[in-house]
Amino acid sequence: MCKPRQIPRALRDAALTAAVLAAAVGLCALLAHFAEGDTYVGFLFVLAVAFISRWTEGYLWGIFSSFFGVVCVNYVFTYPYWEFNFTMTGYPLTFVTLLAVASMVSAMTTQIKRQERERLETEREAIRADLLRAMSHDIRTPLTSIVGNTAAVLEDQGTLSAEQKRSLLEDVNEDAQWLIRMVENILSITRVRGAGVLNTEAEVAEEVMGVAARKFAKRFPETRISVEAPDEVLLVPMDATLIEQVILNLMENAVIHGGATELALRIVRDGDAARFSVSDNGRGIPAEKLVTLFDATSPAVQRGGCDGKKNMGIGLSVCRTVVKAHGGAMSAENRAEGGAELRFTLPLKQIKEETGDETQG
Amino acid sequence: MKLKDKVLIIEDEPSIRNFISTVLTANGYDTILAAQGSEALSMISSHCPDLIILDLGLPDMDGLDILRDVRSWSNLPVIVVSARTHEHDKVEALDLGADDYIEKPFGTSELLARIRTAIRHTRTPLANGGIAQSGKFCVGALTIDYDKHHVLMDGQDVHLTLNEFKIVALLGKYAGKVLTYDYMIREIWGPKAKADNQILRVNMANIRRKLEANPAEPEYIFTEIGVGYRMRDEDT
Repeated sequence: MCKPRQIPRALRDAALTAAVLAAAVGLCALLAHFAEGDTYVGFLFVLAVAFISRWTEGYLWGIFSSFFGVVCVNYVFTYPYWEFNFTMTGYPLTFVTLLAVASMVSAMTTQIKRQERERLETEREAIRADLLRAMSHDIRTPLTSIVGNTAAVLEDQGTLSAEQKRSLLEDVNEDAQWLIRMVENILSITRVRGAGVLNTEAEVAEEVMGVAARKFAKRFPETRISVEAPDEVLLVPMDATLIEQVILNLMENAVIHGGATELALRIVRDGDAARFSVSDNGRGIPAEKLVTLFDATSPAVQRGGCDGKKNMGIGLSVCRTVVKAHGGAMSAENRAEGGAELRFTLPLKQIKEETGDETQG
Repeated sequence: MKLKDKVLIIEDEPSIRNFISTVLTANGYDTILAAQGSEALSMISSHCPDLIILDLGLPDMDGLDILRDVRSWSNLPVIVVSARTHEHDKVEALDLGADDYIEKPFGTSELLARIRTAIRHTRTPLANGGIAQSGKFCVGALTIDYDKHHVLMDGQDVHLTLNEFKIVALLGKYAGKVLTYDYMIREIWGPKAKADNQILRVNMANIRRKLEANPAEPEYIFTEIGVGYRMRDEDT
């Protein structure tokens, strides 16, 4: 990862240095025909050295161009022409000036870059910490309930009815299921970030949608689901396991948080992309949440289960991460007839590098 | 009295081993348990189980090696247990001759259904010789007539192309069992066919447009993501 990037970097710096120095030399040569005296030569090279130090990496190029500048100033463009004149009083001054400019500008540039990197690292660290905190909270809640419920059954002295026991165990089961889905989501994130490159294969869009719908129907048998796909066979390069997870997350979100009882899954062709949508008849998404919906660190997550249910912040941020990694975009909106619609697009043929994600408010 | 089927459970996690054993015993199976691969291999030869449930992640050896060993001398049904995200393991296990796989975490009804299907398949041996098969396969409103090379839906002839028929016929022959993409491509386009799944997927999409009421909600041919396809049978 690092190597192939460093070679072009050095090449780029060398080219830039050469170009700036050539420009300075050219300008000097040109001005020599028109201007009186040679005071401009020193200034031009100071400027050139400053530019080079600012735009290249490290000290090397700046110092190199200072030496080059000294040679030009002393040897080529100032009297006596084409001769070194070390006795000249200006010479040490020129040299020291150029070197000082080069090292000062380089030092500043390097420092700014380092500070920028540190800032980014801190920011990333903060996001990671937030995510971890949100996750720990989310994991602790069902675990507490599992430990409590099982203990109640285990320590029972014959006071619990069969029905009560069953209800306690049902809760345990539900909490455990939730934990499993949580872990799957976390795994999905590592699958995207860890591998770097997605393991994609051309899949038929409706197949993946259909599988997700089927799995979901097993888990939530009361929810009515319809799936609509175009007659045309849409082949989408994707990591199907991840996209299935995305669709499942969207459906689950609609049912658990939107209180939906009916889900409509749809695939349509949208230019060079396939658009997948999940619309529901639930409560819709509160306006203040729409903007940050797919953010792992959105307030929805930080508040953590304020509505008494486990939140889906992580699930939705997984959706966005996965869709983005596929070169697609994600959006959400409330439908005029009630409920919400969450959509994502995936490019049909080649996967493009980067596309922004849109969130409609 | 009906003789009980004996199931060997190879699983290193005691709690999972215990849970599977409890469920199977309660549903009329005899169970024997192995926590390690080496132990399992000796149990297979000494106890002659009717079915093996094999967790691929064992401490002392690769679960796939056990499968290879068993397949070198026996057709006894093997159901592989694997994690959802390890598609590769599942596909490899199926290609090595595992009868089915089940993803962790699984429910008891799912497990029991897989076991029933796997045992039934070994009890009703198929005539060897590729897809050539005689008789009829019926499930729901679907009928595959192997003699006349017809597929009927509600008694109506569904006009399939030759390759489409081959795909449906192959799935029907092993109804209830997952067939991997690679296996199907080899069976239908020959061993030299490019291992490109795209042609199979497009064919399948077209088959579904002819067979299924809604191709996106199939009732007869199910997709197993990253693995292959499975034809519905009475049990699923």
